[in-house]
Amino acid sequence: MDICDQLRESNEDDHDLRSGRVFSEFEYPPPRDEEILPNLTNWDTYMYTRDYKAINEARPMRQATRLLTYPITLASVLHELSPYHIRKGGRLTMEGLKSLTALQYTLHPQKDGSGPTLQTSKPKAPPNRIFILGARAESSLPRDVWIQLTYLFPRGVFHLIFIGPESMANRDREFPLPERTPRNPFGAIFEDRLGPQMRISTYVEYFHTLHQAGEFYPYDPYFDCFMLYHPGLGHPASSHDWEETLPQLLETKVPIFCTGYSEWDMERDRKWVNDKVGGEMDILMHPGENIFRSLRWDLNDLDPSDPTCGNWGIWAFRGKRYEATMTDS
Amino acid sequence: MPIIPRSTYYDEHYRQTAALIRARQPFLIKNIITGIGICGFVISVYSFTINAVAQDDFSDVQVPDAPAQPPHTPNAGAETSTTQAVLDQQREKTKNSSR
Repeated sequence: MDICDQLRESNEDDHDLRSGRVFSEFEYPPPRDEEILPNLTNWDTYMYTRDYKAINEARPMRQATRLLTYPITLASVLHELSPYHIRKGGRLTMEGLKSLTALQYTLHPQKDGSGPTLQTSKPKAPPNRIFILGARAESSLPRDVWIQLTYLFPRGVFHLIFIGPESMANRDREFPLPERTPRNPFGAIFEDRLGPQMRISTYVEYFHTLHQAGEFYPYDPYFDCFMLYHPGLGHPASSHDWEETLPQLLETKVPIFCTGYSEWDMERDRKWVNDKVGGEMDILMHPGENIFRSLRWDLNDLDPSDPTCGNWGIWAFRGKRYEATMTDS
Repeated sequence: MPIIPRSTYYDEHYRQTAALIRARQPFLIKNIITGIGICGFVISVYSFTINAVAQDDFSDVQVPDAPAQPPHTPNAGAETSTTQAVLDQQREKTKNSSR
């Protein structure tokens, strides 16, 4: 698409967002029976099988996917019906399959005969923790949008943890932050009234501070994963912030999913990680276009020649594990 | 509910909307081939059955002709008078055996 056409389209989308029309594309559907499987081949099949209101025009589709890309990108890699696979063309590697199978064991738990009454209650596993590092826009995303993640996992329980110095961006109504007490040493905001399947915490701190404090220890590869939404690992302005965090992420041995603003942004991130810790990491998913990317290109007001697309690409890596081997001695 | 809930994927004339056509698009070719396969199987079963229960064709069976003048000699006596009946019986037998 030509540059001018794209600038015009982004501008018109921005005007459309502020025009005050009825936005039927922002009305999200409720959860459905577990037997009605969602189809995660692309946006259209996902929306049809989840029974979203039909979006026939391209412009509302761009507006809707710009928000939905955050939870659905995460769901598309973690779900057992994910479109990424180990055959040719799906970008998953064997190591990726191992990590995802471990996570899916707890995300899609077996039916255990538990029910709502006291007689039918059973011991429950801890929630799956998703650490969202470098959270900026996604921490202020409406909670209706994040709840769509839980509607794809019928018995899964999530604990989203937004970590980053800018994680309170655009959330001015929630200031001031809670006091730092021994029970809450980092003054985190806990949102636990979002339903039985979702809990959200927000820490306004760097991850290396929290990791060294042992705040989230232990990390279990069956429950936890890291999700970095366009972290700018290789971006000259922000890469020094990530230098201390990256070795700690590899040390946890938990899968790390990264997205990127565009193809060269993602490639720059991958190159930076490779330069820093090349031999110490396993690639779980090869870099490539995200099937559930935002269909809208946003303009950077300070630099219109650098359009950004929410979650254009996605790739994943993990610290290498050295298994104990037998030797003859 | 005052209004029966209608799927937004069909417009007011019950035609498929663009959203539904886009959602079906990855499966279109495979579904068409499967549909042709199933219909082809049905058509072939019907055509074989109709072919198998059709009327038989007996045009290749040789029925011996009645002789132009039945042999009628006074010396034959009882033999010659039963010749016509014997010919009839033979005709019946061939008909029965070819069925």
